[in-house]
Amino acid sequence: MPIIEVDHLSKVFKVQRKDPGLKGAIKALFQPKYEDKTAVNGISFGIDAGEMAGYIGVNGAGKSTTIKMLTGILLPSGGSVRVLGRDPHRERVANAREIGVVFGQRTQLWWDLAFTESLNMVAKIYQVPQVRYKQLLDQFAETLELKELMDVPIRNMSLGQKMRAELAATLIHEPRVVYLDEPTIGLDLIVKERIREFIKQQNQDKGTTVILTTHDLGDIEELCRRVIIIDAGLLIYDGPIETIKKRFGKYREISFETPAASAHVDLPPGAEITLVEARKMTVRFDRTTTTASQVAAALMNQLEVTDFSLTEPDLASIIKQIYNGALGEELEA
Amino acid sequence: MIASLRRSLSIYGAIASMAAKARLAYNMWVWADFVVTIVSMIVFVYFWRAVYAGTSTLNGLGLSQTITYILLARLLSPLVESRTIFYFGFMIRNGEIAVELTRPLDFQLRIGVQTMAELLVFLFQRLPLFLLAWLFFGMRLPSDPALWAVFFISLTLGQGVIFLFDWMFACLAFYVTETWGLSVVRVGTGSFFSGALVPLVMMPGWLQNVAAAMPFAQALSVPLSLLSGISPLNGAPRLLLIQAAWLAGLFVLSRGIFDVAVRKVTVQGG
Amino acid sequence: MARYLTLYRFFVVQRFKILMEYRLNFFIGATSTIFLQAASLAAIWVVMRQVPSLNGWSFYEVIMVYGLLTMGESITHMFADNLWTVGWNYVRSGDFDRFLVRPIDPLFHLLADRFCHDGLGNLITGALLVGVSMQQLGIAATPLRVVYIAVSVISGGVIFIALNLITATSVFWILESIPVTQMVFSMNEFAKYPLSIYHGSIRILLTWIIPYGFVSFYPASYLLGRDAGPLVWLSPLVAGVFIVIAYRVWLFGLRHYSGTGS
Repeated sequence: MPIIEVDHLSKVFKVQRKDPGLKGAIKALFQPKYEDKTAVNGISFGIDAGEMAGYIGVNGAGKSTTIKMLTGILLPSGGSVRVLGRDPHRERVANAREIGVVFGQRTQLWWDLAFTESLNMVAKIYQVPQVRYKQLLDQFAETLELKELMDVPIRNMSLGQKMRAELAATLIHEPRVVYLDEPTIGLDLIVKERIREFIKQQNQDKGTTVILTTHDLGDIEELCRRVIIIDAGLLIYDGPIETIKKRFGKYREISFETPAASAHVDLPPGAEITLVEARKMTVRFDRTTTTASQVAAALMNQLEVTDFSLTEPDLASIIKQIYNGALGEELEA
Repeated sequence: MIASLRRSLSIYGAIASMAAKARLAYNMWVWADFVVTIVSMIVFVYFWRAVYAGTSTLNGLGLSQTITYILLARLLSPLVESRTIFYFGFMIRNGEIAVELTRPLDFQLRIGVQTMAELLVFLFQRLPLFLLAWLFFGMRLPSDPALWAVFFISLTLGQGVIFLFDWMFACLAFYVTETWGLSVVRVGTGSFFSGALVPLVMMPGWLQNVAAAMPFAQALSVPLSLLSGISPLNGAPRLLLIQAAWLAGLFVLSRGIFDVAVRKVTVQGG
Repeated sequence: MARYLTLYRFFVVQRFKILMEYRLNFFIGATSTIFLQAASLAAIWVVMRQVPSLNGWSFYEVIMVYGLLTMGESITHMFADNLWTVGWNYVRSGDFDRFLVRPIDPLFHLLADRFCHDGLGNLITGALLVGVSMQQLGIAATPLRVVYIAVSVISGGVIFIALNLITATSVFWILESIPVTQMVFSMNEFAKYPLSIYHGSIRILLTWIIPYGFVSFYPASYLLGRDAGPLVWLSPLVAGVFIVIAYRVWLFGLRHYSGTGS
């Protein structure tokens, strides 16, 4: 039984179209012309309790608009959204009590206050009982390594420390659903790992449902078993991450270093060139149709190759291909 | 020498036009400024009319003179306010001050030009208000071109005086982080002793002496008194000379204090 | 309601903790407003020591009006200062959305987030002015009068807040509300002096449309024994009406915001 139900959800904005220049600006003042801009176009999906879903798309695809509708900030233009059985906009307060939101780099804590003071304020706002607050504080101090940060104001924290503090603040009222928008942006790899670990732990221990919007595909790979992809307001994929990997998993890529990179080489069937640069070429081939040695041999017979390497295509390039419409053909196959 | 002078002039010219463009960009703010100024002008006119209800002159000034003076003072009052201290504070805090001081252009001159340009744009923006005051609020302006010339000279000198004074005052930003409170003290003191709220001649003698010891009066009261007829034209040369003396003295003082303050910062490395 | 009161107390305490970080600034902030008042008051004093009355109002009567206005203004300064900064500090940066995902009223959060202690300086100054005025004019501080003053000051403060709230709501359309708020707020300068010195149209404006007159002029009329009709009792009513209107306008603005985003 899904706890988040999105049904033909749409959001259309009225955008004022201004002609350039001074004349345009004056015209806009007296005769404003409006255009409809559809940010989200009838998407539907359901998320079950305890799921960790990745919600990804390029900038401007409609991710943040969807999230704003899920969190009750924006009113949908069409369709419906229900979170934990409520309309998040109409029952804003009740919904707010049960959700947590991380807005990327904007902190919800007070800039000049010591961390514990800030956290205490958040706890008061969410009416967390004092005893429970202490318990959770101790827990987070352990799992997020916050002990040295207790008296530090947010303005003095590094990016990684800020994000750890932010997560504590987001989870201090034990929300059932958490929306994480770019939680690891700008962090170095080690900190990213710690944060991902923490989120995974929360999800396992507490069954917190997590919606993750991010451009960091490492986050997605590590945390999400399910991926929803939105592009230009439309849902273009909704399913397990494994399926994507498998569908595209039959492909391998070989990168060749060659002084005579050329697009005109004969390749065995199932192989195609995906990249040609001055001294480098990349060939993608279908493992079920041909083999690495066949592709390499074919190429080396025609060009001088100084080096080559074999890679599994990663999620980033897979997603890029889906954006470019590759999935359409694949799903039919 | 001529070539370098011309080059400096063109650079300063570019800076002036940048500052002017920035000021013109804020249209909502200009409207709000208009409304705020018109409101206070209306308040002043009625206030002074009520003051003069029982008498035709006050300290030798008639209603019309006083109203002209007060309206001019209100229209020109931002000329006596200064943002230099915030500017300094801001640049010190983000470390820009070090960069500024290594630039080949003289820092004080550059800021001076920028300020002048901003003020000119500001005055230009306020022309409709001058018109309004002249048409509806009873502001009487003289027709004597000599008087106008003297006024503009005095106004320019006065602006120089206040700019230099604020330069010195702004150096406090090197020593104190909280510039806002200081600036409030400055605005309060400045608005009173510049004669912006009340013509100085109406003040008791001892207060007038205090005002004379401060630079604010040089920036506003002196030029405005000339234009509104409160100070006779034949006294102008003496007044202008006094302004020039202030200017010279503050020029030396402001540069000296600035150097001391900068040295403090560079020594501390703050 | 009680919950909001305890929450507000926490907000204020935390704000003081932040302010105490910068102790010198705290002190300067509290006293700096007094300087601005002092300049205006000095100007009035300079003029009125030579002129016995302003349209029939003596110096101390004028001071009473001025003092009451200052007190009313200090209330909005202390409790609703964020109405000035809602645009550049919250809506434009997107921080306003944070208020919408928290389980408390967003207006409450906005106002509680910034208790401005500077306003205390004005409150004290205003109270002193009213006190001095009453003393010099031989007006005894009877319990009725004290209550009347307290009610007037609170009503006056609410009127200030209501007007600022209405104009601040423009932020949901134009993203920067300060100029709009400034335009209406500037009208309070009329109410620094007895409204009787102005043209009738101004008196009407400040009584029925932008009712700053109820902050200072009408309460002062009552305290000074001047006849202004039933208007001297209407400050709380006007305050109530305007704050209800203001809150409705705010809610309308919020609805627009949730329709169009930022």
